[in-house]
Amino acid sequence: MADERLGEDRRLPAALVRWFSELTYQGLFATDRDLRVIVWNRWMEIHSERTAAEVVGRPLTEVYPDLCTRGLEQYYRDALSGHISVISYGLHRYVLHLPPTNRDLGFNEMPQSGRIGPLSDGDTVIGTVTVLEDVSDRLASDAALRRQIDVQQMARVAAEKALRAKDEFLSTVSHEIRNPLNAVLGWTRILIDRKEVEPDVLARALRVIDRNAAAQVRMIDDLLDVARIASGKLRLEMQTVDLVAVTLAAVDVVAPSATAKQIEVRTHLDPKTPHVLGDPQRLQQVIWNLLSNAVKFTDPGGVVDVSVAPVGKVTRLAVRDTGSGISPDFLPFVFERFRQSDASSARRHGGLGLGLALVRELVELHGGTVRAESAGSRQGATFTIDLPTAKWAEVGRQPAKSGTQPVSEAPSLAGLRLLIVENEADSRELLGVTMTRCGAEVTTASSCEEALAVLRYAAAAKALPHVILSDLGMPEADGFDLIRKIRALAADDGGRIPAVAVTGYVDRDDGRRALDAGFQSHVAKPIDPIAIAVEVARAARAADAPIE
Amino acid sequence: MELTAVQQDALVEVINIGFGRAAASLSKLTGQRVQLEVPSITMCPVDELSDRLRPVIQGDVASIHQIFSGSVVGDALLVIDRQSAAILKELLTNEPALPLEIDASAREVLTEIGNILLNACLGTFGNLLKVQVSFSVPHLGLETLEGVVSSITVDREGLRYALIVHAAFRLKNSSLTGYLIIVLSVASIERLIRAIEQWERDQR
Repeated sequence: MADERLGEDRRLPAALVRWFSELTYQGLFATDRDLRVIVWNRWMEIHSERTAAEVVGRPLTEVYPDLCTRGLEQYYRDALSGHISVISYGLHRYVLHLPPTNRDLGFNEMPQSGRIGPLSDGDTVIGTVTVLEDVSDRLASDAALRRQIDVQQMARVAAEKALRAKDEFLSTVSHEIRNPLNAVLGWTRILIDRKEVEPDVLARALRVIDRNAAAQVRMIDDLLDVARIASGKLRLEMQTVDLVAVTLAAVDVVAPSATAKQIEVRTHLDPKTPHVLGDPQRLQQVIWNLLSNAVKFTDPGGVVDVSVAPVGKVTRLAVRDTGSGISPDFLPFVFERFRQSDASSARRHGGLGLGLALVRELVELHGGTVRAESAGSRQGATFTIDLPTAKWAEVGRQPAKSGTQPVSEAPSLAGLRLLIVENEADSRELLGVTMTRCGAEVTTASSCEEALAVLRYAAAAKALPHVILSDLGMPEADGFDLIRKIRALAADDGGRIPAVAVTGYVDRDDGRRALDAGFQSHVAKPIDPIAIAVEVARAARAADAPIE
Repeated sequence: MELTAVQQDALVEVINIGFGRAAASLSKLTGQRVQLEVPSITMCPVDELSDRLRPVIQGDVASIHQIFSGSVVGDALLVIDRQSAAILKELLTNEPALPLEIDASAREVLTEIGNILLNACLGTFGNLLKVQVSFSVPHLGLETLEGVVSSITVDREGLRYALIVHAAFRLKNSSLTGYLIIVLSVASIERLIRAIEQWERDQR
């Protein structure tokens, strides 16, 4: 092999050629004065996918014609007159067109740097030598380094931006909080200074003071809410909520300001909208924020449309206005805290710029999503909220410190017959509705006596409940009495039906006593529908009751 | 030994020929107009080299160093301050440079630029002297000016002179100055000057 590569010229020591040929991690090839290849090392064979036998004896410019078109043959002429040339990757990208070794770099050829120099025998130049290096690895690590530097720079820019936004926000806060105070103080002074105040002036002063104080309370509430959410301390009082009713209540609140601006608020509320799980006060805050925003940014004579309807597995609430719209530049930032499209002191609209940030935080706490759409400035805007309706949808980021069980998906109770015993009507209804939603076939009883009557009928109809859920604290015969009476019955009369006790939150001993009395398990008040559904499902499974 | 005004003019003329070639190669390589000019040439003993350069080069430098041998032996260097080196690389490749210590690609590009300049200049000298010289592989150093001077290898014990060629790169409305330093023994430098004087006479 080595002798073959030597070609005509046998003056090169064969051992040295073999060493270069086999052991180097670089491409190495030599030509004679006519640029015919005389040496083609192993690296070249591997990376060019051409064997030495194929290449040796042929002119290099015939094997790689693009050397001429890319002007590289000049370097070979220079080498023949004794010059050494550096071929940098940065200026040439590659020397020979070789297949890439790292396809991730996205090049069609292996990136290389090289050196071309004379092959000298004493004072005579007898040919050229080329050394090639694959710089793929170097480029990959350079790219990683540059990315790292970019990431750091971006993080710095983002941090500076956040700091600027906070500064702007602080100046907005001081300005906005002072505004209503000026009105309150101004009118208070007038009332104090005047010996006698006409009734109509007094009434007007009090209205102004009341309105401004209320505005300030709202701002401070918003600020506190944002702080609570930021520190994870906002707690939602979850229950089933009729979103249509909540929306109507919110519309009532904004109606006066809309009427004052001659803005028509139109409602499109689908009566088939199922209830959602949420905190009614917070949901009303969300809707009120969207509505008052719409009214604020809509010119007199405009229209605000509110719609609520089920869409697939979610309940969708949309607020569309014909107002000033949102420019595409600002659209991605509308829900960010401390952001207003115009933070300059000359802006037309007051407010802290917290409303939409609160909307997003609250909606996400409810496991929902919110998005804003606008065709641009002067084109109006639409805010759409999707809240989960399917069974017990996951409740987003309920703060861990809230003390309640971590909320998760409620189990299905489909196919399960459940008897609920509870004397207190509201709790009974809540339990009934929530268990029905889980798929259970629910029968309710308001007393121990009624429960036993239900069991007698059920036994006769051979349709005994699979599980009994009973409150412990009831007037007259309580939950303990009930379970003792049930356990005294024959199996066919319902004596073995698994039972879950709902214990009061005062007496911690209730749980143990309930188990002693004959309940299989117990859950504590306040009523947490998911925790109860989990217990009911567990009791049913333990008794091999059918759950689909 | 000082260069006379006539000798200086002749040297500038000769080197401009070489620089013209180098500028043409760089323009072709980078696809943009690169100009190279020689505002001035001075000569001094190597011992005084640092003192001569210190006022014009601040801080650490990048140097591209090639040794040539044959019937004339010597050192040839392109010395450029670090900041200018990084800017030059960016201008020529349109890519931002990382610090030179960690940017092997930038070092390589600078090595090639130095190589082109040194080859062009020394090639012209070689033609003039009708001698063939061979070159070592160019080496890029990142060091102090003193470090560069102490790396000069030719005839360490003898009296050596350095030709300092101011090389002004002009591209994309920017101008950067590097220094081409050719160190020769006294005998070689006298031969070079005589050859240039002869060339000057032949031109008339």
